[in-house]
Amino acid sequence: MKFGRSWLPAHVLAWLYAALLVVPLYYLLVSAFKTNDQIFGSPFALPTSLSAHNFTEAFSSADLGSAVVNSVLVTALALALTLGLAIPAAFAIARTEGRLGAFVERVFSLGFLVPTFAALFPTFLLAAATGLFHTRAFMVLFLPATAMPLSVVILVQFMRTIPREMEEAARIDGASTFGVLRHVYTPMCMPGIATILLLNFLTFWNEYLYSLVIIGPDPEQRTVQVALPTLKSLTGTDYGILTAGTVLTLVPVWAVYTVLQKRMQQALVSGAVKM
Amino acid sequence: MRSPLSRRGFLAAGSGLAAAALPALSGCSPFASADSDPGTLIVHTQLGTTAPGSPTYKAVVKEFHAEHPGLRVKNLVNGDDLPQVYETSRLARKEPDVVMVNLYDKTLAWTDVGATVDVREYLDDWGLRERVLPAALTEWTDGEGRLRAFPYFATNWPVAYNTALLERAGVGAVPTTGDQLIGAARKLRAKGIAPVTVGGNDWTGQKLLAQIIQTFLSPDEARKVYASGDFSGSRGVREGIDYFVELRDAGVFADKAQGLTSDTMTTQYNTEAAAIQSAMSSALAKVPARTAGHTAVGGWPLAPGAAHDKPTILRSYTLIGFWISPNGVRKISSVEKFLRFMYRPEVVSRFITESGRDMALVTDTVSKDFPLVAEAQRLGDRVGQVLLPDLHVPPTATQPLITATSTAFTRGTSAAAVRSALEAAYRTG
Repeated sequence: MKFGRSWLPAHVLAWLYAALLVVPLYYLLVSAFKTNDQIFGSPFALPTSLSAHNFTEAFSSADLGSAVVNSVLVTALALALTLGLAIPAAFAIARTEGRLGAFVERVFSLGFLVPTFAALFPTFLLAAATGLFHTRAFMVLFLPATAMPLSVVILVQFMRTIPREMEEAARIDGASTFGVLRHVYTPMCMPGIATILLLNFLTFWNEYLYSLVIIGPDPEQRTVQVALPTLKSLTGTDYGILTAGTVLTLVPVWAVYTVLQKRMQQALVSGAVKM
Repeated sequence: MRSPLSRRGFLAAGSGLAAAALPALSGCSPFASADSDPGTLIVHTQLGTTAPGSPTYKAVVKEFHAEHPGLRVKNLVNGDDLPQVYETSRLARKEPDVVMVNLYDKTLAWTDVGATVDVREYLDDWGLRERVLPAALTEWTDGEGRLRAFPYFATNWPVAYNTALLERAGVGAVPTTGDQLIGAARKLRAKGIAPVTVGGNDWTGQKLLAQIIQTFLSPDEARKVYASGDFSGSRGVREGIDYFVELRDAGVFADKAQGLTSDTMTTQYNTEAAAIQSAMSSALAKVPARTAGHTAVGGWPLAPGAAHDKPTILRSYTLIGFWISPNGVRKISSVEKFLRFMYRPEVVSRFITESGRDMALVTDTVSKDFPLVAEAQRLGDRVGQVLLPDLHVPPTATQPLITATSTAFTRGTSAAAVRSALEAAYRTG
């Protein structure tokens, strides 16, 4: 396929957009190897040294090792719980033709209307009342609750595109309802599942406010997003160390995105074709 | 169709995972143990990562452990968000035993609402009163006579002048009057050097603005102004704001000062892009040796008719102190051991010599590796002192006042508009 001159503006805009995305990442990365004076004095210059000092200092000062482990635990368990609840819920809603199904779907959609900040105090009270305040367990239960509306709505749309005949064929082969979900709907919705996995992973991993208030600052329990700001100080922040710490916490995000991006793109493209 | 994992198996695996993982994630909270484990003292602190004094703090805690093998200090570290985290912990009655934080903003209300306890009796019972500077005790005592916390860190807040840059611009001496400062600013600008750098968008700008406003105010008048938020009521405060506007519009402050922060301020000074900064001890400790070598510390230049006879600085004794929580009272013998240890002269000296901190305690130790901090300590009566407004500004107005500061540092804003912005901060708060 050959592109003529008419494609030139599109190319220019695409490259400009890419540059807009790359510049902050470049700034973050080079700052991780600099001192404060270098960061503010010549922000976009290449670092004069590739010393790992800022990285080791960030890792040890903020105890990022255990913070990453805690984040992985909370995120992985919350994702598992989200999928465990959202897939059957979406399956049930997608297969229901009556008014009740539409009503339940709308109830899930109402979840979008609750502002995150407004739920903070009631959530704190709930955590205190259940004895789960200052525990990671509460976040493992709470995060899926916040992710259910988006997850269910996306998965319902995917499941509605699966022809009924597929289920009927499975039933003829003796599949139970659970078997239909597991062997027909789930595999065919993998792009959708990958999409909600990726979106929820980013949300759960980057969650700060609730983790700060509910889990708290205990180094044995706190997540990476709570550990990272401890590198910031009102009376003089070392931005080299802070950006190095930020780069370290971005590594898992980059790894997960690399693994799931193909599936997500597939989901987006298939969605476009269906439209 | 046969599933390798049956529904029953799937549910069993899910339940097993939940049964195993969730209790593991909820058990053994250190906050829960704060109530039950007398062998652990939970300390919520802003020291512990990269804040000035953190390495020394970690080292002395290690020493404390070696001396008290049966008592463990568990540090919970937060930065600027510590007050919010402590308050929610307290609401759930799971607060740590000791809190190490400044007396500022939200923490001003803690003793009043019972979030922390009055420590006056403990200070006397443990015989530590003589260790504290009288000015520190005054600042940490509230209107009801309650001592909010055990004072620990203090700070001098002088003005740092880069004498080499002043000389390069043809300024012979450190300016001591407003006119001299304006003249110096013109000469510095002609050489492409920023005159006074300041974080006009954060607390450093707020403090410098407060310092300049107090040029024509006595301490009592300043206290009233900052407690009430009436920036139009007295002649002194109006003249102070006029003086600030005159300096600003004469180009005394660095370009776009209204958008600068404390970090850009210290970087501009440390890299010699700017010649003057108003800097607290922790910032002075970070001035690199080559810049520190030709830095003189002094006060802020005065205008004719000022209420002070010498250039002024700020001093504060309300940086990090040791607050005791209601949970801490239950483990008061452990708290006593910890605080007695932290108040020891040799421990106090370590913070001065190793970290360049100023202390709110009686000590003869002077920084050797931090010459500017030491020079600021020696300023004594050679400078005048104005009031740090933090203790008098209502907590709700603290943040809006910083926002109003940015307006004040914006060139072209009239004195009336500055007054109006400052007064609005008290109304919005």
